[in-house]
Amino acid sequence: MSRIRLGRWLIAVPMALLALATIYPLLFTANVAMKTRRDYILDRFSLTDTLRWENISTAWNSVGMGRYFVNSLFVVTASVFLLLLFGSMAGFALSQLRFRGSSALFLGCLAGLFIPFQVIMVPLARIMADTALIDTYPGLILVYVAQFLPFTVFLMTSYYKGIPPEIVDAARIDGSTVYGVYRRIMLPLGTPALLSVGILNALFCWNDVLMALVMMPSADHRTLMIGVTSLRGQYSDNIPTFASGVLIAAIPVLLVYLFLQRQIADGVAAGSTKG
Amino acid sequence: MPIGNTQPSVRPASAGRAGGAAVTPAAHRSGARPRRSHGGLRAERYAPYILVAPAVLIIVLLRLYPLLLGVNFSFTGDGAQNGEAVGFGNYSELFGDPLFRTALGNVGLLVLLLPVAVAIPGLLATFIYLRVPGHRFYRSVYFFPAVLSPVIVGAIFNLLLAFDGPLNAVLGSVGVGPVDWLGDPDIAMFMVVGVHIWATFGMALVVFLAGFATLDAALLDAARVDGASLRQVVWHVVIPSLARTIQFVFVTTMIGMLTSMFGLLFVMTSGGPEGSTYLPEYYIWIQQGQMNRPALASAASTILFVIMLVVGLMQIKLLERAGKED
Repeated sequence: MSRIRLGRWLIAVPMALLALATIYPLLFTANVAMKTRRDYILDRFSLTDTLRWENISTAWNSVGMGRYFVNSLFVVTASVFLLLLFGSMAGFALSQLRFRGSSALFLGCLAGLFIPFQVIMVPLARIMADTALIDTYPGLILVYVAQFLPFTVFLMTSYYKGIPPEIVDAARIDGSTVYGVYRRIMLPLGTPALLSVGILNALFCWNDVLMALVMMPSADHRTLMIGVTSLRGQYSDNIPTFASGVLIAAIPVLLVYLFLQRQIADGVAAGSTKG
Repeated sequence: MPIGNTQPSVRPASAGRAGGAAVTPAAHRSGARPRRSHGGLRAERYAPYILVAPAVLIIVLLRLYPLLLGVNFSFTGDGAQNGEAVGFGNYSELFGDPLFRTALGNVGLLVLLLPVAVAIPGLLATFIYLRVPGHRFYRSVYFFPAVLSPVIVGAIFNLLLAFDGPLNAVLGSVGVGPVDWLGDPDIAMFMVVGVHIWATFGMALVVFLAGFATLDAALLDAARVDGASLRQVVWHVVIPSLARTIQFVFVTTMIGMLTSMFGLLFVMTSGGPEGSTYLPEYYIWIQQGQMNRPALASAASTILFVIMLVVGLMQIKLLERAGKED
């Protein structure tokens, strides 16, 4: 027994070092974001003596990260709302209702899982240009919804499969319409899954760069992640401002992670075990 | 639930909203199968289709149809030849392009590194499952970079790996000459893949832990009672029991390497130096967005899709074989 105990402690050492290697780059960036340019050049590693929030406000205002932040927030909110709405509607129908063609439709939705954006980037950009949706918020929202809907439908369907059909039957006998069952029973019962899938989708959309790059060419339509990529060219000689921009983009994700880590992990786990 | 008194009491919320529809429940209960008898219920029959319609329409129009369109498009020309059929012209041009060949070569490199990218989270998950001291903390820390955007991760490592950056400063203080981490064609791709693995191993870790949750604890206890070493436990108990999870992680990690490194490439190297860090997805983006060669990009997309299909089919094959062994 004591040998196993000792072994565990021995393993804990490299694991602690790895944890340090995982956290350190982030702490380093946060520290740099609080320094002056001169401090950084003189000593990259020393802890900043004061918290210089003016770097953050420079990045927020003059670099335009604030504007991009609001753009991202809007696009992500709308995309997640539509994803959860369409995903739960389809998931409810495909898991609880019997109708002709349901399994074919489910497979059709699943097929979407195996088509990454890179593969359909060219024709999708052309479709968006033909319908005048390119470089518009609705266009990008639609692309996000299409990208993450297969995954959402899949997870909602498998979640709703776990709800006993008797609940739906009872409500139908009581005279509730199908839509009533959806609104008053399925949506409330689906809350845990909707929360998990919603957070995951929000992260996916918030973190995306390629779709936003292809669909949103104009500068003032940029999302926050595109803003981060443009920092590199503009502020390569002013590292603290650069780091501040990165920090602005990372902090919302950090907050979501701190408070909702369990839901994120549950969502990932559900996606893997039900597959 | 007593059937007799349901009508007036159970759904007070809907009573006011739909006065007309409130008549229907009574009509239902009188007949055995009331569905078809009532006019308002005909709409109900279409309800499932109406519920799935938005999802199906979006997926068909913006996923499945573009796939066909893109494959079709890859057999037409660019520029002056726009819309004309050129047969396999784009494909032969692709394989003649050194940049695309580098991209395919890098895919080969990813395949070679795949076992490492799977083994690291697998081992760490095993230790966390065996409750090394502080396992909860490690789990939270390791998973965090996985939720960060590749763009943020790339920007952070740009900072750390810069030629005059902190990593070289540390190495210089112990006498190791500055290394151009992202500027040396022999090193850059390994750095980008390394950062990708650093950023994503937490995702695979969580998947592994979900697999461990289904593991029969009695088996592990039995092995321990019999005095099995850690290595034996991993080899004879953990790996066979988690075969499905391991395969899933293999496939998703490979697909992740093929489709979610764009942000890192874009921020860290822009495909350089000397085109050494090209991957198919980056090549597609360059040809479509920068070079104005959409048809050529479509051909590269089609090849990427075929690579992914092969990965997916290999999984199905493996799963079938695992199923037979069960």
